[in-house]
Amino acid sequence: MADNNNLLVQVEDLKIHFFTNEGIVRAVDGVTFDIHSGETLCMVGESGCGKSVTARALLQIVHRPGKIVDGSIVLYRQKSHDQIEKVRISDLEPKGREIRSIRGKDISMIFQEPMTSLSPMYTVGNQIMETIMLHTKADKNQARARTLELLEFVGIPRPNRIIDEYPFRLSGGMRQRAMIAMALSCNPRLLIADEPTTALDVTTQAQIIDLIQGLQKDYDMGVLFITHDLGVVAEIADRVAVMYLGNVVEYSDVYTIFNDPQHPYTQSLLRSIPKVTATREKLEVIRGMVPSPFRRPSGCPFHPRCPKAMPVCSEIEPKTISLTENHQVHCLLFDEDAKKPVREMAS
Amino acid sequence: MWKYLFRRFLSMLFTVWVISMLSFALIQLPPGDYVTTLVNQLVATSAGSSTISSEYIEQLREMYGFNQPMYVQYFKWIGKILTRGEFGYSFVYKRDAAVMITERLPMSFALSFASMILVWAVALPIGIYSAVRQYSLGDYIFSFMGFIGLAVPNFLLALILLFITYKYFDKAMIGLFSQEFASAPWSMAKFVDMLKHLWIPATIIGLGGTAGLIRTMRANLLDELNKPYVETARAKGLSERRLLWKYPVRHAMNPFISTIGWALPGFVAGDVIVSIVLNLPTSGPVLFNALKAQDMYVAAGFILMLSILTVIGTFISDILLAMLDPRIRLQ
Amino acid sequence: MTINEIDLALADRASGGPSTESDVRIEVATQWQLMWWKFRRHKLAMFGGALVLFFYLLAAFAEFFAPVNFTTYNEQYVYAPPQMIHFFREGKLAPYVYGYKFERDPVSYKKTWAIDKSVIIPLRFFNHGDPYKFWGLFRGDLHLIGPVNASDPFYLLGADKSGRDVFSRIIYSARVSLTVGLVGVAISFTIGILVGGISGLVGGVVDNLIQRLIEILISIPTLPVWLALAAMVPLSWSALRVYFMITVILSLVGWMGLARVVRSKFLALREEDFIMAAQLDGVPRGRMITKHMIPSFLSHIIASITLSIPGMILGETALSFLGLGLRPPVVSWGVMLQDTQKVAVIAIYPWLLFPAVAVIIVVLALNFLGDGLRDAADPYQ
Repeated sequence: MADNNNLLVQVEDLKIHFFTNEGIVRAVDGVTFDIHSGETLCMVGESGCGKSVTARALLQIVHRPGKIVDGSIVLYRQKSHDQIEKVRISDLEPKGREIRSIRGKDISMIFQEPMTSLSPMYTVGNQIMETIMLHTKADKNQARARTLELLEFVGIPRPNRIIDEYPFRLSGGMRQRAMIAMALSCNPRLLIADEPTTALDVTTQAQIIDLIQGLQKDYDMGVLFITHDLGVVAEIADRVAVMYLGNVVEYSDVYTIFNDPQHPYTQSLLRSIPKVTATREKLEVIRGMVPSPFRRPSGCPFHPRCPKAMPVCSEIEPKTISLTENHQVHCLLFDEDAKKPVREMAS
Repeated sequence: MWKYLFRRFLSMLFTVWVISMLSFALIQLPPGDYVTTLVNQLVATSAGSSTISSEYIEQLREMYGFNQPMYVQYFKWIGKILTRGEFGYSFVYKRDAAVMITERLPMSFALSFASMILVWAVALPIGIYSAVRQYSLGDYIFSFMGFIGLAVPNFLLALILLFITYKYFDKAMIGLFSQEFASAPWSMAKFVDMLKHLWIPATIIGLGGTAGLIRTMRANLLDELNKPYVETARAKGLSERRLLWKYPVRHAMNPFISTIGWALPGFVAGDVIVSIVLNLPTSGPVLFNALKAQDMYVAAGFILMLSILTVIGTFISDILLAMLDPRIRLQ
Repeated sequence: MTINEIDLALADRASGGPSTESDVRIEVATQWQLMWWKFRRHKLAMFGGALVLFFYLLAAFAEFFAPVNFTTYNEQYVYAPPQMIHFFREGKLAPYVYGYKFERDPVSYKKTWAIDKSVIIPLRFFNHGDPYKFWGLFRGDLHLIGPVNASDPFYLLGADKSGRDVFSRIIYSARVSLTVGLVGVAISFTIGILVGGISGLVGGVVDNLIQRLIEILISIPTLPVWLALAAMVPLSWSALRVYFMITVILSLVGWMGLARVVRSKFLALREEDFIMAAQLDGVPRGRMITKHMIPSFLSHIIASITLSIPGMILGETALSFLGLGLRPPVVSWGVMLQDTQKVAVIAIYPWLLFPAVAVIIVVLALNFLGDGLRDAADPYQ
């Protein structure tokens, strides 16, 4: 496991609520994780589980009416060679100067929709150079040279031509490469990738994933990779955080998650992947559907769909239990204190 | 881009041609013609005592060429406009229609143009403000004022203005010129004087359009503000102000600019009715009287020229769009 | 997997477990229900809707709501100013207004009206006053309110140049002004949906031609065209014919926008998955259009219709104001405003502008309503 010297971002008990007309939605409800440089943390979960919101919180770009209401996000920023500065991102003003100097420089992000994530009004070069000129002292020519270098680096053919091309004239894969070039332009310490391959076809997906993996090695970046595709997780993750309705329900290294999952949700999730070896076996689905965020179940939010639900699950909200140093589960099955009083009552 | 503009230009020419036919046909639609009106007038003024002989009426028709088939009349009319710039003769004013048009049309143009500038200058910043500060107090106030602007017919505004100036101010404020310049030949001083007077009718005409454009801009920008490329720009570390102007505003301008095309007819219409109420020396009152008296060459000429004005406006907005949006330029 | 197996799998999924059923109930609301929920939240739109309803009720039952008939005049009270209505006298509900008297301006010797507080004109709710034929069918003489003594002057919003009650005339005018909007929109809606539908469904050359035509028609300034068309209505025509002609003229200019909306909706729908699914299921074309396509954008159409009624009302008002629209003895708000063409008249008798207030309120209300409907038309957003 990575040692603390490499610690990049530490998220503790993060809570993000959306204050809508219909009521408060607890999109993220007490999430704890950390990211080290040189490692890939995968966040997995069905849509609406809060993974994208969590990622956006790291940059303080949560959409209105969402707000960080509790918890902390700390960035460990290398000030000089041996001096590390702690920045509490969760306390920064979302529109302020300090967080803006972090965005695109220390932490950068690539998004799901390469088709619409770049503006069709400006050339690819213009949009990449903008980032470089914003965060470094480079002039226009230097920025252009650096952009050409980046485009070549992310595997775009004929960068000399593509730099002056408009995004809508490029294919989806090319655009995502351009997005990655943009994200890398200021040598970020952390790259957040929010389902970067969902909108792409399978071959392009594989290329983009290879690219991100390669870049991570070269740059020794931390990567927060958000996906709902367990195949991708198996391929690139060092550690995995499984999310369900605003909670990290299981958090461990990728081997433990795939070989020894403890949370019933993780187990169901894994059973729902088709396996090449098992022929003609009926694929399992998780029964029921993700409940509406406005009618969040009481107690453990997973209990209505949980195959191992106990009576207590609808009453008590589970705590995070450490099974080993590297394996946390958010489930009452492992909480002896919580199970006790109910048993006594039942008997 | 040139191909696109060339295509738009051709379609503009075609539009103008169709409009010329429509406006000519429009004038021909009413039963009877100027001779009928004339005869009616003659009968009315001579108190019905003398009847006008049908030979005389026929003679008049012959003289004006009214007994030829309509398409012949049309080609004669359009031919003269194209080759000699002759718009025919005003039966009512006994003057050359072309002279009347050149007298009045520039005023209409100036007024419509001033209204548009005013509308833009007001609607753009307010629209942006209302979108960025959605549901703020300012947004509500502007929205409410916008609704009022949409609901108050501009002739009524003109009336109210007339009423206020009548009661509280000196009357010289209404009109396009101060008294000393009204019949003076054009000079720099007269032009400046006109600019000083122009803003009042321009405001009246523009109010409805401003309200509409504010809502267009607000809605467009609200759409754009949620687009992924805005998030990308924000994640880069751009400041809110800089990213707003560079990305969503620029995108939202597109439909805003294409509204020039359809807003212009509105301004021209507003110009007509407001000028009638305020009795401004623009096309409005002349066109109005010409239509009532079936003074066909004057009416057709004005409708044609006013329509051409708006077609040109649309063409300009096409050019602007091509300059602004690479997707249109590179298609 | 055979079909049976798929069915089984689907059934498995649908039934869920017994314990999940109560918590994970799938809520099904129809599109109209969703729209109504969204619309209800839009307070201003609800308010606008109520106002519109109120005005249409006023128009429908004008005979009852107006204190007198719109033709009733009294040359004794030419240009009488508005009276204040008082509801309580000596602590009891007994509505009354004060009478009028003449005063001579000591300087100009002009005759001016003044309120005479010594004369009390008692009023009565559900008063039997001017006889009328309700909707031209039923005889009646019941009015919501009116003077107990029929010869007493009662001018809530003043009197016009012939001593007619402006208030009653405004109510009767609503009938014409508001229906012009409805009938006009009905006509332009029919043209719009036909042309737009053909354009969007047939596509190709036809679509291209229609679009060019619409482009051309839209670039012609509306008002001169209105004026030109309205000028051709012969003076000898009956009021009803003029009314329909003006409505047709107004709608001829208004259908292009609707046609564009309908076309773009059809075009967008052709790409939608559920239309594709219906097509693959072999749904016949006519049924597809009426059962699947039109209902899915009807809400948008209703919203754009609501938003185009104000234009019609304003158009009628402008035309009539200029003397090219409806003509007396028909009353509409525009016709009433003809009296205000001269500034001198407004300056002395400002209450003649009250019809304009009615226009503004109705247009505002329709705009609020239409705005709310448009927002609600997309309940899934």
